[in-house]
Amino acid sequence: MTLNSLNFLVFLGLVVIVYYIVPKKFQWAVLLAASYGFYLSSGLDHVVYILFTTLFTYTAGRYMQRLRNKQNLKIDALGDQITKEEKRELKKEVAKKVQKVQIITVLVNLLVLAAIKCLNLVIGGLNDAFSFFKWDASMPFINIIVPLGLSYYTFNCIGYLIDLGRGKHEAERHLGKFALFVSFFPSITQGPLFRFNDVGVQLQQPHKLDYNNIKYGAQLILWGFFKKLVIADRIAPVTRTIFAEGFDYTNGSQIFFGVLMYSFQIYGDFSGGTDITRGAAQMLGIDLPVNFERPFFATSMADFWRRWHMSLGAWMREFVFFPIMLCKPVTALSKRFRKTFGNHAAKMVPSVAAPMVVFFLIGIWHGVTWQYVVNGLYNALLISSTVALTPFYAKLAKWLRINTETFSWRLFQMLRTFTLLCISRIIVKAPNLGEAFKMIKTMFTSVDLEFLSGIDERIFTYGMDKFDFNVLFVSIIILLVVGILQESGVKIRESISKQNLVFRWGIIFVLLAIVIIFGVYGPEFDSSAFIYGRF
Amino acid sequence: MEKLLSILKSIRDDIDFENETKLIDDGILDSFDIVSIVAELCEEYDVTITVDMLEPENFNSAEAMLALVEKLLDEE
Repeated sequence: MTLNSLNFLVFLGLVVIVYYIVPKKFQWAVLLAASYGFYLSSGLDHVVYILFTTLFTYTAGRYMQRLRNKQNLKIDALGDQITKEEKRELKKEVAKKVQKVQIITVLVNLLVLAAIKCLNLVIGGLNDAFSFFKWDASMPFINIIVPLGLSYYTFNCIGYLIDLGRGKHEAERHLGKFALFVSFFPSITQGPLFRFNDVGVQLQQPHKLDYNNIKYGAQLILWGFFKKLVIADRIAPVTRTIFAEGFDYTNGSQIFFGVLMYSFQIYGDFSGGTDITRGAAQMLGIDLPVNFERPFFATSMADFWRRWHMSLGAWMREFVFFPIMLCKPVTALSKRFRKTFGNHAAKMVPSVAAPMVVFFLIGIWHGVTWQYVVNGLYNALLISSTVALTPFYAKLAKWLRINTETFSWRLFQMLRTFTLLCISRIIVKAPNLGEAFKMIKTMFTSVDLEFLSGIDERIFTYGMDKFDFNVLFVSIIILLVVGILQESGVKIRESISKQNLVFRWGIIFVLLAIVIIFGVYGPEFDSSAFIYGRF
Repeated sequence: MEKLLSILKSIRDDIDFENETKLIDDGILDSFDIVSIVAELCEEYDVTITVDMLEPENFNSAEAMLALVEKLLDEE
């Protein structure tokens, strides 16, 4: 059952009704049953993996908590008999034990993730090595299922264990409630990632039926459907054609057209899916983290990553970036640089090291292929160079007498970021790395304005005809207007609710009509799967 | 407070640390700045600031940072 299917809407409707009918103390149980029902719809064999992760993380969490409780009981029992110094030593000792358990359990979770995602890649690599050395050996590939939402629930569990180790919250005592935190159905397919002390707590709280939550949630779902069905799925045939193996990449403008379309497609697909997820959760009174803040308005790559897949960015910042930046060797090196070369050089040391690790991980999180690794490093290099070259850019702008407080400068920055992103998109979307480099080169060296202008009508032969183009054009204008309004601080749904009845419902009906009439539907209304669902 | 303000100014001289109260919430300080500030505070005050203390409420203003340092010094 995909999030953009009719089945999901019916399912969600039923869950919402039951959720608000049952006594509040059983609401979490309704969500757990619904989550496992949703999960089972993806296949019975998928459940084994999520059950293992749930039980393993729950048990590890309980054990870590027990260690800490024992320490507190001991300190309480000793009362005045224990000195401040001894208390600190005892706490240190227990913290070390907790940390050991935390490291082992995080590694086990990562190992399961890596084993499922990379096992056949490793086998393939070994077989290649065997044949290279002409050894008479080969290993059979293993038919392994990648369970629904594997990366998302594993990362949430790892976050839970680390936060627990840091003392941000206590371990959940109730297995059922913990299982709900791991499997909450709206977000299991493609996130957003969340923390136990935020969403985990909300999932256990009683929720009253609130008209605004239902209304705003439904509106967000409708907006998500618009992005997914009217924009992303309309573009899908074009990118399927242009980025297919064997496509003739001699015309740079075709590649530019392909990557431009892909940029809109992936945004519509991923952010549309997140809107459906957040809208569904809001109808249940659960506030999930925001995952997108108009990434097309980003003025630098660092700014882009603050606006795109924000929950993954926040996860990486908390659990990878800060620990690296604050580890003793890095801070010592940074201190030495500050003393010798000044503040900027000191900032440079960790700002080169940490993004490399973070983006390498983000790369392989998307897929264990060279394309994702190279793309990760490409993004890391761009971000590190932003930090490194900021003083140089400031001097250059001053020297060239550029007023950086103008709209034109911001527009230039946005276009520059978008171009850099297009390169990033080609790296991962091309059939392979070699083709990707060829495509990037051709995109900048071969320009065919006749093709781009649509005069010779070749542009309409990739799966979108003139009518589709017109629908897409209007849809992107709508997206842009909404984006500009949001950038200027307007809260769209709240603003709509303040309007007069006719206008208010008019907007909703028009959007609904656009989705119904102009949405691209797959067989039996079960539209094409979400791109980020496979991560 | 003056010592702290001069440390903060040495890292970002373009920010009004005396009056800003939403340094993190408003995105005025980025992750790299926070790390530089933490390293400097640890060095100057001889305290240990760990990852779990990197909460917005501890870094939203100079006052909050001072409170964190004082709390850590008190615990030492």
